[in-house]
Amino acid sequence: MGEAEKTFISGLHEKLVEDKVIDESQLEPDFAKEIVKHGGKDVMTCLQCGNCTGVCPISLKIDYKTRSIIKFCQFGLKKFTLETRWVCATCYRCYEHCPADINPAEVMIALRHIAIKEGVIPPFIRMAAMTLVNYGQSIKPDPEIERVRRELELEDMPSRNPEFAKVVREINLLIRSTGYDKLIGIESEVKK
Amino acid sequence: MSSPEPLGENDAERPQEPRRKTSQAPRIGVFVCHCGSNIAGTVDMPKVTEAVEKVPGVVVAKENKYTCSDLGQDEIIKAIKENDVDRVVVAACSPRMHEPTFRSCIKEAGLNPYMLQMVNLREQCSWVHSREKEKATEKAADLVKMGIAKAARLEPLEAREVPVEQSSLVIGGGVAGIQAALDLAQMGFKVYLVESEPSIGGRMAQLDKTFPTGDCAICILAPKMVELSRHPNITLLSYSEVEDVTGFIGNYDVKIRRKARYVVEDKCVGCGECADACPVKVDNKFDMGFGKRKAIYVPFPQAVPLKYTIDRENCIYFKTGKCKSCVKACANEAIDHEMEDEIVDVKVGTIICATGFDIYVPMKRGVYKYWEYQNVITGLELERLLNASGPTGGHLIRPSDGETPRRVAFIQCVGSRNKKIGTDYCSRVCCMYSMKNAQIIKEHEPDTEIAVYYNDIRAFGKGFEELYHRVREEYGIEFIRGRPAKLSENPETNSITIRAEETLLNKITEREFDLIVLSTGLKPSEGSLKIGKILSLSLSPDGFFMEAHPKLRPVDTAVEGIYLAGCAQGPKDIPDSVAQAKAAAASAASIMSGKKVKIEPLTALVDEELCIGCELCVDMCPYGAPEMVESEKGTRARIVEALCHGCGTCVAACPQKAIKANQFTDEQIASEIVSALEGEDGATGEERKASKKAEEA
Repeated sequence: MGEAEKTFISGLHEKLVEDKVIDESQLEPDFAKEIVKHGGKDVMTCLQCGNCTGVCPISLKIDYKTRSIIKFCQFGLKKFTLETRWVCATCYRCYEHCPADINPAEVMIALRHIAIKEGVIPPFIRMAAMTLVNYGQSIKPDPEIERVRRELELEDMPSRNPEFAKVVREINLLIRSTGYDKLIGIESEVKK
Repeated sequence: MSSPEPLGENDAERPQEPRRKTSQAPRIGVFVCHCGSNIAGTVDMPKVTEAVEKVPGVVVAKENKYTCSDLGQDEIIKAIKENDVDRVVVAACSPRMHEPTFRSCIKEAGLNPYMLQMVNLREQCSWVHSREKEKATEKAADLVKMGIAKAARLEPLEAREVPVEQSSLVIGGGVAGIQAALDLAQMGFKVYLVESEPSIGGRMAQLDKTFPTGDCAICILAPKMVELSRHPNITLLSYSEVEDVTGFIGNYDVKIRRKARYVVEDKCVGCGECADACPVKVDNKFDMGFGKRKAIYVPFPQAVPLKYTIDRENCIYFKTGKCKSCVKACANEAIDHEMEDEIVDVKVGTIICATGFDIYVPMKRGVYKYWEYQNVITGLELERLLNASGPTGGHLIRPSDGETPRRVAFIQCVGSRNKKIGTDYCSRVCCMYSMKNAQIIKEHEPDTEIAVYYNDIRAFGKGFEELYHRVREEYGIEFIRGRPAKLSENPETNSITIRAEETLLNKITEREFDLIVLSTGLKPSEGSLKIGKILSLSLSPDGFFMEAHPKLRPVDTAVEGIYLAGCAQGPKDIPDSVAQAKAAAASAASIMSGKKVKIEPLTALVDEELCIGCELCVDMCPYGAPEMVESEKGTRARIVEALCHGCGTCVAACPQKAIKANQFTDEQIASEIVSALEGEDGATGEERKASKKAEEA
């Protein structure tokens, strides 16, 4: 893993295919269909031209190849595809260039859905969800940001506003009623 | 079985029983085919046979493993004779496959060939319901019963014969059109070849060498062009366009517009004095805009006919009314600025459509910067730059500075295999022409560094794989598997850096080149849409003309007497184009050599008593088959049988129900519907509903 990657996504690591031989037991033959079920296009139409990798702003910085992830999906190598799909910025450049008209960015989103369902949840997802539950925004209120805002004579962050508590309550209710809290294991944080 | 409701029949005249030529009740023979396991694997055949045996009118019902085999046909003939059968139902595959087989089979047994009803148990039942065997069996029985119901109402029909004009029209003067015209002329038929450009030769004339052998394209094409122009059976109509085609197989009337070239063909000797005198210089389209030509020109030195043409848009005389330098220079007084377009009418028996292809033009704001960077060119532009008679005399240069490029990259699949822009198909020639051009560049300048950015290499033809090996092994051409993602130009040197993933290395690469060649794909030629409308041809999803059958009728179209040759039907290389041209010529000849052609009697027919002469059918018919004629009863419609395709549009449109379609009369179709709605007990859907209601009450 490159240095840049460590800085970008702390707490995640690329699972490398180190097996010399990949046998059938490692493959999930219907993985492509599962991706379609979760909102991605059919990865089987991919011609492996590599255009997506070439235009991907993440690929240029870290060892992350859009094309090879699509190949893993075609092949059914599910276990290697679930850990690091969070680095995709969903800028949709890959979609714009793809001659097979797949949308790799949406495949990445589908992979995230699958990963969550399978319980492969990176720590920062839980952290962001907890911040949302507590403050009504996914980034924790930061005194430094607030100081700069005040200097620039901008309004305070909404989370400072006492009336915002109503919004936070609504968010809590929505998270609980959709079962999202249970899905990612933050039930104890969600207020009744 | 209940008799059908009267539909648009004159009640007073309507017979109580379905009309029949024979006075006796119909004697129907039903033959159910297993098609090996194609049908029998899904449908329970004995059950179907058993169900249809009991239907009134059926005198014999048999199953056979392969009804289309000699044995199967013999059985039909035997059953017809033994049981005095007068009409036959064959429940097997699509009528597109074997209807002609069984028509001739029952004809052999002494029946009218149109006393046959095909029931499609394969494409429309077993193949689509392979997972629901019981329901499929039920449906199969229903389908056969419907066929029996219609068969009971079949009437004998006679096919008519019409004479065939012993001449052919070839549209397009590329290598395919040239070959087809030559073959037909050789066989003794009169040929009219229409070419929209001033010279024949088409795209092949623009190429430098041909893959994989490296023959000079014009050197092998020019002799054919000359032979064509001198052949006594061929009338060459260059700089002309087909305006209109009417008629039918064997008897097409063609209207051709001879565009004014402002030079009298008979007087021009092709000396070129006029072009020397002409003061106007414009980009030469034939050289893809690299070279210059005059406003009076021949597109290339080997042009056939070698007759000059004035390009009206650029000629000073047409702009200002002055100049006429060419007129002064011409010793033969061949130039006539007052010339006008001329319409020529010809009559032909067959038509060969060889309208060729156009090169895909890269997008204006595309990734490959064709319109922004001078040093990005297309494959056909490279052909002209490499061509000895091209604008640079065969010396490869960079357009930006005229220098010889030291590093050249080819980018494959530009405008092919791209779902985003709707060109899903492979253009079939780009892999090979790039390799061939790479080899030529290496032969000119052995130190040139060449890389080919490819996705998949398609080297399927004879000698193609060998060329692929040769360019890699002998010429050291590098193949990089990846589609370039970004091109960026160095503003000082005009060299271009390509960023692409080398997918086999799993690494992103960045490399600089002096010249980029986009291996642009093929698309249907611009004029083909117009020609397609004139000839009523259908298009495949890729936009090229569709053949009648992808395997068995690859040069025929759905319109009888019209054939396809070359890239009009889809991208192909020169050998394939020539082969298809020869096949199209042979197909056309097989119709013309018969002198007469049979016209299917499955046409529409007007009842003069009912027709009110409203002309709605004339407006609706896509083939121009109905015509209005004066009779004792007034103006009435009449269908020209030879033009009618039996589509039924006029039948549905006629407000008087005065038109009937042979083999698809309202009575026949209604009988099928009634039969489909009948239950086991013979009750119709309405009756069943009523009895169910009564039960519930």
